[in-house]
Amino acid sequence: MNNFLQFTVFGIMLGAGYAIAATGLVVTYTTSGVFNFAQGAVGMIAAFGYWELVSVHHVPILAALVIVLILGASIAGAFVERVLMRRLHGASAERPVMVTLGLMVILTGMATILWSPTTQRTVEPMITGQFRLVGINIQDQYVLIIGVAIAVAIGLRALFYSTRTGYALRAVVDDPDLLGMSGVSPNRMSQYGWILGFMMAALSGLLLAPTQTTGISIEAMTLLVVSGYAAAIVGRLKNIPVTFAAAIAIGLAENYVLNYVEPHLSSSLQTDVTSALPMVFLFIALVTLPSVRLRAVGRLTSMRAPRVATGRESLVAGGAFLAVAVVAAFAFADTNVKGTTLLTLGGMVMCLGIVGLSLVLLTGYSGQVSLCQFSFMGIGAFVMGKAAGGGSLLGLVAATAICAGVGALIALPTIRLSDLYLALATFAFADAVATGFFADGRIYGAGGLTIGRIVLPGVSLGSDTAEFILVTVFFVLSALLVLAIRRSLFGRRLVAVNDSPAAYATVGLNIGFTKVAVFAIAAAMAGLAGALYGTVQQIVGTTDFDIFPGIIFVLFVTIWSIRTVSGAFLAALTYVALNQIWPSSIGIFAGMGVILIGRAANGILGIDALHVRLPWVKSPAAVDQSGPLTAFGGAALASEGTRAVG
Amino acid sequence: MPSAESKADSALTVEGVAVRFGGVAALSDANLSVRAGTVTGLIGPNGAGKTTLFNVISGLQSPDRGTVHLFDTDITKMKPHRRARLGLARTFQRLELFGTLSAGENVQVGLESSVRWWQWRHVKRTFPWAKGGVPSADGVPEGQPTGPGSVAVATSERILEGVGLGGLGAEQSSAMPTGLARMVELARALAMAPKILLLDEPGSGLDDAESQALGELLTTLAKGGMGVLLVEHDMELVMRICDYIYVLDFGDVIASGTPEEIRRDPMVQAAYLGTVSDAGDGLASVATQSELEPTGSDTSDAATDTITDHGGDQVVEA
Repeated sequence: MNNFLQFTVFGIMLGAGYAIAATGLVVTYTTSGVFNFAQGAVGMIAAFGYWELVSVHHVPILAALVIVLILGASIAGAFVERVLMRRLHGASAERPVMVTLGLMVILTGMATILWSPTTQRTVEPMITGQFRLVGINIQDQYVLIIGVAIAVAIGLRALFYSTRTGYALRAVVDDPDLLGMSGVSPNRMSQYGWILGFMMAALSGLLLAPTQTTGISIEAMTLLVVSGYAAAIVGRLKNIPVTFAAAIAIGLAENYVLNYVEPHLSSSLQTDVTSALPMVFLFIALVTLPSVRLRAVGRLTSMRAPRVATGRESLVAGGAFLAVAVVAAFAFADTNVKGTTLLTLGGMVMCLGIVGLSLVLLTGYSGQVSLCQFSFMGIGAFVMGKAAGGGSLLGLVAATAICAGVGALIALPTIRLSDLYLALATFAFADAVATGFFADGRIYGAGGLTIGRIVLPGVSLGSDTAEFILVTVFFVLSALLVLAIRRSLFGRRLVAVNDSPAAYATVGLNIGFTKVAVFAIAAAMAGLAGALYGTVQQIVGTTDFDIFPGIIFVLFVTIWSIRTVSGAFLAALTYVALNQIWPSSIGIFAGMGVILIGRAANGILGIDALHVRLPWVKSPAAVDQSGPLTAFGGAALASEGTRAVG
Repeated sequence: MPSAESKADSALTVEGVAVRFGGVAALSDANLSVRAGTVTGLIGPNGAGKTTLFNVISGLQSPDRGTVHLFDTDITKMKPHRRARLGLARTFQRLELFGTLSAGENVQVGLESSVRWWQWRHVKRTFPWAKGGVPSADGVPEGQPTGPGSVAVATSERILEGVGLGGLGAEQSSAMPTGLARMVELARALAMAPKILLLDEPGSGLDDAESQALGELLTTLAKGGMGVLLVEHDMELVMRICDYIYVLDFGDVIASGTPEEIRRDPMVQAAYLGTVSDAGDGLASVATQSELEPTGSDTSDAATDTITDHGGDQVVEA
């Protein structure tokens, strides 16, 4: 009985920490319409900053709290609103997701540079001591966390529903212009929201850091508030009391599972369960609760789609690309970069290029944000390594087919989710797979999973040159497939379901079926890429398909252009090159890039100033003005000068 | 509530539909029926519940109670895409175009909505080297070339021409002015060769001449056998083309009848203009306008031809 009470108190304390982070998410979302994926990273920076001040520079605790919580968090919150978020007004729905993810990887990247991950750091509780109550020991720190969480929840509830500022904070996301007309600055209100959100994030980081008995780590602290994500979703991103209650329930559930279920599992499974539990909660919350209508940051700007190459143009470009790759394969056969052959790096570019193409299909065309393409890649590599002894064509087929199946299974419960919710669900899946499956020593083995080069009867593909040409062929075929799909009936439907789901359904088309189909196809492509990646690297390990590299890659595709084949290729090239040259700073590059791109929906390749019309590409067709344009203003439009989009 | 007699020859029947959003009753007890071959008006002040009723009929909003029948089929719990396949098409008050696609592609999506893309005979046309155009819903023979010359593209051009947008098939729909964009929405709905067409304020953004042409188009479509349910604030248009009108106010049908009956109904006048005497003057002026001779236009005939041709062999695969 005493054990149960002890676990309960610890669970409530854990839940209270989550509750502070979750209410911070709700505050930011309520006041800006943006779900801050960087909430955990802000808490992580606050915890490390506090540790630096107190443990290294011996600053008094109170002064350190003022510096981190009052000065640091508020200045950072105001800065992020002013510099990053305000300019996103009117951007497409997935862009705020990308920018806050960018912020997350910038902060984790900076933390990695400032605080070496190999050093152990322990944050001491702000208050020490304990007392006994009904036969159990209760630490003063627990009481502090629970008390602060309750005070924050009550305070925020009072602020939002009992003060003029609170009404203005809630109104700003509904109609900033109308709020402006009533004499309140909408920008200032948004800024207050971000400051509050950042302070909540920092507070949760500071309070939860001492609970990390083995020391604080960048990744663990960043992902520590994922249970807070689940609580915020249960509170439907608006209800603070429900969010608070859900956070406490999640804290309790986690602690009960940890203490009552885990001891009965094998030692390797224990780690899997502990790591994956928060993400499992988030996934369950997302797929079981009714989704609310999400708010856009602003009115969606009308977007001009990039021109789609014709079939003939695709074939010519694909052939030329392949020819250049073959020449390069022989020319650079013996070149090494930092101990890796150039052709191996080139092969990695092609494999990641295929993953990028899967994102073009999934996010670029159909508008579904996925943060788990690297997970499918990892599953593909695993299947390739295990099927038919590794390195067989059968393995490629199996990897593709199994990933298609897993993709469909993931898509089925998530098809009703849109934009942010789908991003969160795929985020949860990616981390659960990485921590609960890939990290298990039995999956890839202690030294990694060995995958041989593909063997074809009578053809030797053992050399780096042959391997590079093979994966390039797969990349070109994948690119041709993606372009062919875009030009097809199915491609029109993908674009249509993204542009207007309501209209899509009312013309007789099944939204769910289309979304599951494209998700499965994209997962299959990522699985194929993973299998090929295995044959290029010949050995894959537990960290190859982690959540952070996956997110960073998605950001690079967004930066170049998530709507074009060339964007996918350039993203892969950039990712592999930077990972080779500045691996510790790659997240900062990705985050800065996506922030600089801002609301440009078509990325760098969509910037008009960079457009150079190639001589063999046809000009847009002139509008035929000979038609009966007598009614409905047709003639007027034609005379204004029109442009066509292929 | 529609009488048993009217229900028998009704193409679309709405009975006792109620929808609440929290404490607000958007629809209390809505009843109406639309007969094939007629234009039925649905009017009412802003916030009366017209768009909510359209959403209930098309399946985008579940009613708290009540039923919706399309001919003899109860479609109350049917998903939107299944209702559309049974012949129910709509446009939206707030434009819902496939903005990234061209006007022609918007129409093509409607035209090809019954085609199962995953069947091999369609999949193989995805590839650049394949022969054969994408079949359209009007029974295009296989073996047509792909691209601008394909029958699906040609049919979409004919439909666009029918609504006055000939030659604008390549225009990106999101770049079009509101009036034209509404016509693209209408063309996309017509491409499905619907039996019932729900139009939510199609006349907003149109000038007098365009509104006149729209009226003629809708009348011609109804003559071809289509049932049209029209939500519109342009009273002159409604009074001129509708065979029957329902008036909605605060979620209830407060009146129904022929345009003449509606014009004289004191409740309608009060609901619209607040006072009976003022309202009487306003609606009387509408009556005068509606007696104007319609100006001729060939766009409606072109559209009817297209829809009739196209609708003759509707739905290649259900």
